[in-house]
Amino acid sequence: MPGKRGPKRSTGRAADRLRRLLVVVPYVLHHPGTPVAELSQTFDVSEAELLDDLNLLFLAGLPPYGPGELIDVSVEEGRVWIGMADYFSRPVRLTRSEALALYLRGKALLGAPGLEEAPALQSALDKIEGGLGEETLANLAGRVEVGASGTSARNLAAVRRAVERRERLAIEYYSAGRDELATRRIDPEHVYSAIGNWYVVAWDHRSGEERTFRADRIRSAAETGETFDPRGLSGPGRPLYTRTAKDVPVRLLLGAGARWVAEYYETESPKERPDGSLEVTLPTKDLQWVAKLILRLGGEAQVLDPPELAGMVRETARRTLEAYRSAAG
Amino acid sequence: MHPLERLLNLVALLLNARRPLTFEEIRRVIPAYRQGDGAAAKRMFERDKETLKEIGVPIDLAPTDAWEVEQGYRIPKDRYYLPEVEFTPDEVWALFVAAHAPGHEWEGDEAAVAFQKLSTGTDTNVLAAMAERTPAPGIDASGPHLGAIADALARRRAIRFRYKPTQGKPGQRDVDPFALVFRSGNWYLVGSDRSRGEIRSFRLSRLASPVKDVGPAEPPPEGFDAAGHLQSGPWGLGRPAERARVALSPKVAWWALAGAPGATVTRAGRDGWVEADLPASETGAFAAWVMQFGPDARVLSPRSIRRQVEARLEALAGAG
Repeated sequence: MPGKRGPKRSTGRAADRLRRLLVVVPYVLHHPGTPVAELSQTFDVSEAELLDDLNLLFLAGLPPYGPGELIDVSVEEGRVWIGMADYFSRPVRLTRSEALALYLRGKALLGAPGLEEAPALQSALDKIEGGLGEETLANLAGRVEVGASGTSARNLAAVRRAVERRERLAIEYYSAGRDELATRRIDPEHVYSAIGNWYVVAWDHRSGEERTFRADRIRSAAETGETFDPRGLSGPGRPLYTRTAKDVPVRLLLGAGARWVAEYYETESPKERPDGSLEVTLPTKDLQWVAKLILRLGGEAQVLDPPELAGMVRETARRTLEAYRSAAG
Repeated sequence: MHPLERLLNLVALLLNARRPLTFEEIRRVIPAYRQGDGAAAKRMFERDKETLKEIGVPIDLAPTDAWEVEQGYRIPKDRYYLPEVEFTPDEVWALFVAAHAPGHEWEGDEAAVAFQKLSTGTDTNVLAAMAERTPAPGIDASGPHLGAIADALARRRAIRFRYKPTQGKPGQRDVDPFALVFRSGNWYLVGSDRSRGEIRSFRLSRLASPVKDVGPAEPPPEGFDAAGHLQSGPWGLGRPAERARVALSPKVAWWALAGAPGATVTRAGRDGWVEADLPASETGAFAAWVMQFGPDARVLSPRSIRRQVEARLEALAGAG
């Protein structure tokens, strides 16, 4: 079972130990002779704590607690066998909060399109929704929706593999900021979903800086045959936009239909105006994509500063209109 | 005797009991409850019952026999054991990925326990194969109070909380929860706002207090559509009502079309430009989607949407 989940938790409370044993016992009954080390990893508990639990387990059983009624536990050569505990051969059902935790995380993973496991995850969640009993999640059927958004990333699987194996990739990437398609070599350390898209955190050899790439803008991802040592870049939870000294602060006035911009992107210094519109500052490295954003907002947003951006918006709108007119004939 | 040993004995006893057992009967068999006086033992027993409840072990109180003179305790087998749910190896892996996705701020330990319980019967080879892989993808999702709200939704309970809207002052809301929606990395509650008498959406990250139970909830109206109640945002192409034809430049076509479900390429020119047929609407969302590509995308038909885009461009080109 995969490890890499940080230090083992210490869960000394009897309730936590009981909760764990009511899963460990059925597991060992299904997998007799499981190595202690494997149990320790699977149940995220130290071997010492696990052995403590097993040492108490064989004192328990059914009345009158003679040798014929006590649970049989043997640990030999680092492997565990349990007997005389048929009534613990199935685990106790999930509490609602356990079921919800897994179910809602699964739903959240479906919130960015293109995950390889999506069909299997969807069907597993359907089974959990309906199959765990009336009191668990049955009432949630049809009540938890995942909004379709974002763009399917066709190279997501290749990037995940590279993260797993620490392999350097050569990617063809479309940068909205620069409005160009270029090839770069990257050392990808994390893949995660945020605001409906998949992002890749990597060391970018082209700029010599760490960068966050949108996975759906990776046109192709080729293996380079090289591997890398992770630099310990931070993963999910980091700001999607990496600030630099070269950032230009763009001041925008957002109407009702454009207010989402304030929450979707990293913005600062919000100021409400009496008419219900909102002023915000959007730091950016490149004005080109902000111009496109203003176009997209189609009149719901206005550029307050810098004036050159307002000029770029007019210019881009003019060029686009020209394209319509020259094609019209 | 260690509390864990006592608790294990209690679960084993009540799970195997042929009829409900009174506390006196339990006390007679489990030695730990014989220590001290009866009142202290009873208190210990009550605490143990609470512990069992907390970890999801159901305990029923029922008459011990047909004469119904005495009440006793038992663990009903049908509500104790995890129901049989068969998962394919792919489903087990998908659940593993969900349970261990880094970054989701909510309840990782609970999800891990849920996964352990559900995968108890999984073939060793399947579990061993999983050991070789890292569940790399993470989730950056914001959902404070998600557990309490989902719990209220599952139990059909109304809730009260303080809410900080994007506009206006924070205030108290009493809401009948109808649905949870996850969109663009945020969890939203959609429900009936009682004081306003309207269906509203609430972004969980804007909740300014824990949630409080305020009694049974009203069910959603017939034909309720949760997503329709979310505020506008950068969500795609709008509700499709018709089809449109769009020309796209080679620079953007490949990723633009990947983000347009239901799009088909109808023509690929030698210059790399493609024409695609895709679901559209006149709500403005479609025009916005096309316009984000600037001169790299052009609506060819229908005329109505094309005019809509041109009108917006004219306004922007002339502005200021």
